[in-house]
Amino acid sequence: MALNALEQEALAEIELESTRPFRLADHLGLVRAVSVVAVISLWEYFGRDVNPLFLSYPSAIARAFVQLLGAGQFMQQARGSLEVYLAGLSAALVVGIVLGLLMGRYRLAEYLLDPFVYALDATPRVALIPILLLWFGLGAPAKIAVVFLSGVFPVLMNTFSGVRTVSAGLVEVGRAYGAREGKIFTKIIVPASLPFIMAGVRLAVGRALIGIITAEMFAAVTGLGALLVRYSSALATDKFFVPVIFLALLGVILTRAVELLEKRFAPWKETERAL
Amino acid sequence: MPAADERIIAELGLRRERARSVCDYPNAIRAFSVICFLIVWEIYGRRVDPLLLTYPTAVVQAAWSLIKSGELPRQMLESLTTLAVAFGASVVLGVGFGLVMGRSRVVSAALEPHINALYATPQVALTPLLMMWFGLGFTVKAVVIFLFAFFPILINTASGVRNVSSSTIEVGRAYMASRRQILLKVVFPAAVPFIMAGIRLAIGRAIVGMVVAELFTAITGLGAMLTLYGNLFETAKMFVIVIVLGILGVVLVRATQTLERRMARWKETERAIE
Repeated sequence: MALNALEQEALAEIELESTRPFRLADHLGLVRAVSVVAVISLWEYFGRDVNPLFLSYPSAIARAFVQLLGAGQFMQQARGSLEVYLAGLSAALVVGIVLGLLMGRYRLAEYLLDPFVYALDATPRVALIPILLLWFGLGAPAKIAVVFLSGVFPVLMNTFSGVRTVSAGLVEVGRAYGAREGKIFTKIIVPASLPFIMAGVRLAVGRALIGIITAEMFAAVTGLGALLVRYSSALATDKFFVPVIFLALLGVILTRAVELLEKRFAPWKETERAL
Repeated sequence: MPAADERIIAELGLRRERARSVCDYPNAIRAFSVICFLIVWEIYGRRVDPLLLTYPTAVVQAAWSLIKSGELPRQMLESLTTLAVAFGASVVLGVGFGLVMGRSRVVSAALEPHINALYATPQVALTPLLMMWFGLGFTVKAVVIFLFAFFPILINTASGVRNVSSSTIEVGRAYMASRRQILLKVVFPAAVPFIMAGIRLAIGRAIVGMVVAELFTAITGLGAMLTLYGNLFETAKMFVIVIVLGILGVVLVRATQTLERRMARWKETERAIE
């Protein structure tokens, strides 16, 4: 900064410091790193003193992580969970998008279905898990049903409101050029509501993950949720944290992946609906 | 309408009014749809093994007997008390920490890594550990509900505070407002719409947390009744509880929406976090 002679003089007179004092706000990255390191080392230090049945400590968790990932059994359970998750989620996406498109486009479909959609959407899905287990048993079908029910409503509601926001002008232009209903759907309505659909998919990915964990914890036979229950009842706290961390990472990775897809397929619009 | 238009309409024999369609009676269609569903369920449900599926009249009977015996109101009170205490705590702490985090970049940088990590973890997965730490009673349920509801409020409050325009704060400073006054009279009111949006998201999650905690601890509350009657194969009673939980969800979410509209009438912003 260029200061003229008068200003220089004034500065010298009132003895302003020309260098900025040290402020924490200028070193936020450092604060972040110190905070993480401090928490982990405190946990490590005090965690070792606590009875290992109640609380583990970072290095023990890291050891358990390596051990479990090497043993193969963990990965086998994780693969089982993921297969169920993918099956339920893809069913939820297909059904949610199709029903959402129909309900958004045709009023008859909307009025016929919306009492059920709203009622089911308002019910906490976890409350349905005992009933679904009763109907479908403890195996994969019940879990697929839970994942499906957890994921279908965000997609359906978002697709529905996406179709609703497609401007009638676009549809009329399409009609004026002689587009048939099929073309109107594939060339106008779906592209125009894509940002909403993708926002719904992003929500569904997270909800479905919670659905699968809850279902597996409740059924407690196979999958990562069952491992959580098994390790906690065996009081193996260090091992317990392995699926927890794995699931957290999985959730972050999946949501990021959908966000990337969102930017790719629907970069032109930033709208989303808070559900 | 000009005479020429009238003549053309008459010549071409166009109809004046839009053809009537069934879609002009949305509520009739809804009622028809629901009634059809109930009738099919009633007929089909009576034929199926009652251990697996029940039917609407049986659900109504079960609801009546659960209310009359006082079991449903008692357990519901139990659930709602826990919900109220834990949700109150998460509102107070969420808004408090959110204000501090929004105002201070240093605090925000120090806390953010931990908050993001905890928020990314599916809270359901922590329930078994929490049960080990806090037992099966009131405490564990309150802690689970708190964990479900705390983060949306915290994150929304912090981003609401960051969104307060700096010129409003500068005006406050120019009028010699103290730090306290700036926080309470300038920043907080400006962040209210965000806070309310966070509370609306949190109430839905709090109900899920309540059900999860009660399903697993299975001692008191509506979730425990669900587990109990599931084990007894009393399907009709399970449906009663599922319906009660659904109604509870609708009522509480509607209530927060109304509150939101009243307290944050001037602003329509919200942030989608989930």
